[in-house]
Amino acid sequence: MSAALSAEGLHTYYGKSHILHGVSLEAGEGLVTALLGRNGAGKTTTLRSLVGLTPPRQGRVTIFGKDTTRWPAFNIAALGVGYVPEGRRIFPNLTVHENLMVPLERPGRWTPESVYRLFPRLAERKLSRGRQLSGGEQEMLSIARALLLNPKLLILDEPSQGLAPLITREVFRIVAQMRTDGISVLLVEQNVRMSLEIADQAYVLDDGHVVYSGSARELAADEARVQSLAGASAEEWTLQ
Amino acid sequence: MLELIFFNITNGLIVGAFYALMAIGLSLILNLSGVINFAHGGFLVIGGYLAYVLTPYIGFWGALIVSPFLTAIIGVAVEWLLIRRLYGRDPLYSLLLTFGLAFIIEDGTRQIWGANGLPVSVPPALMSALSSRFFFITGYRMFMVATVAIVVVLLFVLLRHTRVGVRIRAGTLDLETVAALGINVRALRSFNFAVGIFLAGLAGVLAGGQLGLEPTMGDGLLMPSFIAIIVGGVGSLTGTLVGGLLIGVAAGLTAVVFPSASDAVMYVIMAIVLLVRPRGLFGEEGMLT
Ligand SMILES: Nc1ncnc2c1ncn2[C@@H]1O[C@H](COP(=O)(O)OP(=O)(O)O)[C@@H](O)[C@H]1O
Ligand SMILES: [Mg+2]
Repeated sequence: MSAALSAEGLHTYYGKSHILHGVSLEAGEGLVTALLGRNGAGKTTTLRSLVGLTPPRQGRVTIFGKDTTRWPAFNIAALGVGYVPEGRRIFPNLTVHENLMVPLERPGRWTPESVYRLFPRLAERKLSRGRQLSGGEQEMLSIARALLLNPKLLILDEPSQGLAPLITREVFRIVAQMRTDGISVLLVEQNVRMSLEIADQAYVLDDGHVVYSGSARELAADEARVQSLAGASAEEWTLQ
Repeated sequence: MLELIFFNITNGLIVGAFYALMAIGLSLILNLSGVINFAHGGFLVIGGYLAYVLTPYIGFWGALIVSPFLTAIIGVAVEWLLIRRLYGRDPLYSLLLTFGLAFIIEDGTRQIWGANGLPVSVPPALMSALSSRFFFITGYRMFMVATVAIVVVLLFVLLRHTRVGVRIRAGTLDLETVAALGINVRALRSFNFAVGIFLAGLAGVLAGGQLGLEPTMGDGLLMPSFIAIIVGGVGSLTGTLVGGLLIGVAAGLTAVVFPSASDAVMYVIMAIVLLVRPRGLFGEEGMLT
């Protein structure tokens, strides 16, 4: 098994605050890797370090065999790394259709037509502005936008945040489908149980340190640990 | 009296079209790069003097197209060498830099071509008056307004219907996400800068044909252009366009009744707009919406 992405010893800062303390992880080719941890653990910062938005001060990021540590974000994306950011980051002033014109066109099976087939709701709302969409529609648009890059690696930051259970399940189903399509997935989630159901590997982050790395199944079996990770979160549903 | 009012409205529209052309370029650059380009008037001067140099070889029509392009190329070179380094820093840095550039361009022009006015020769066909009653509506003035109108329409088509235009509008609000979607945002910013400078260069050629050239010809346009942006609402190009025309016509009309207040009226309009709608006429809505 080779890695689509691997990070070694990342130290990342925001100004003077030292957020990541030597984070190492791998996203296996063709697998779903879950990155879990409480609020403020450093999950978003880790993803931003990987995609070049907040480059690490120390450590190394390798994506598809290339050392991308110092690459600008747009070069990393152009390698085939789709990023669905926390909070979705839809362009509110653009229509759905225009939002889908922004990403770099990398050739592949995903085209505006095929993402509209995957998300029929977006086709209906083609001419609505980003700010007029519901949370679920925004999430679909954010995923659709990343798919248009025809990514080989898809990185998602809390895609189910703030979504109703039914839509959350839909989002997880689509992420699981990406895996069957051969896309490697790195998934950050608060929804621990559902993530572990679709993930192959898992990492748990706490205060900028990796405190668990191993198989998702083993972690899921550790009820005490899952409980403490899920914490007081009410948003706990399972896929079935 | 009717002629006088009409004359001043026409004048105001022409002046307003220039404000709008300058202000839209400034606005594009401000929105995507966060740079307040004080050298914008300098690029207008470069466009005008390039037309002066080129007209003997390629004629007025050739210069009308080529000068703005050359000005844009010079603009991109300046952006790459200097301005680009200050992106993401306090806006004060780029403000100081472009302020200095404005002086360098003005003095450089004076060094090369002298301080005295120079003409840009315009085809005679454009110079005749359209009617004797409305003697002030020369073909050239109509031509200026028409050119500005066409260019503004083309710009709006670019921003609405092409990928690069949509990316510029997206980047106005969230450049980081545009980058994360694989778009070379450095090239995007340079292209956008070039478009803004192209408009300044074009304004220089058009103004040169009407008023002749002077090293200081850009100075008077800069402040009204900033006012146009503020009146229209920062971030909205439609607003900038309307703001430019509005203050141009208002200044023109004021000149009929109270000539010495025709400059002050711009500031009065700005104050009123800011009191009633603090974000400007088209603010809040975001660019082009
Ligand atoms: N832009 C920022 N500037 C300064 N500190 C930040 C910034 N973003 C996040 N942090 C801090 O970094 C830590 C990790 O944040 P984050 O990576 O967003 O965590 P998570 O995604 O796991 O909730 C938190 O303590 C947070 O307060
Ligand atoms: Mg987060």
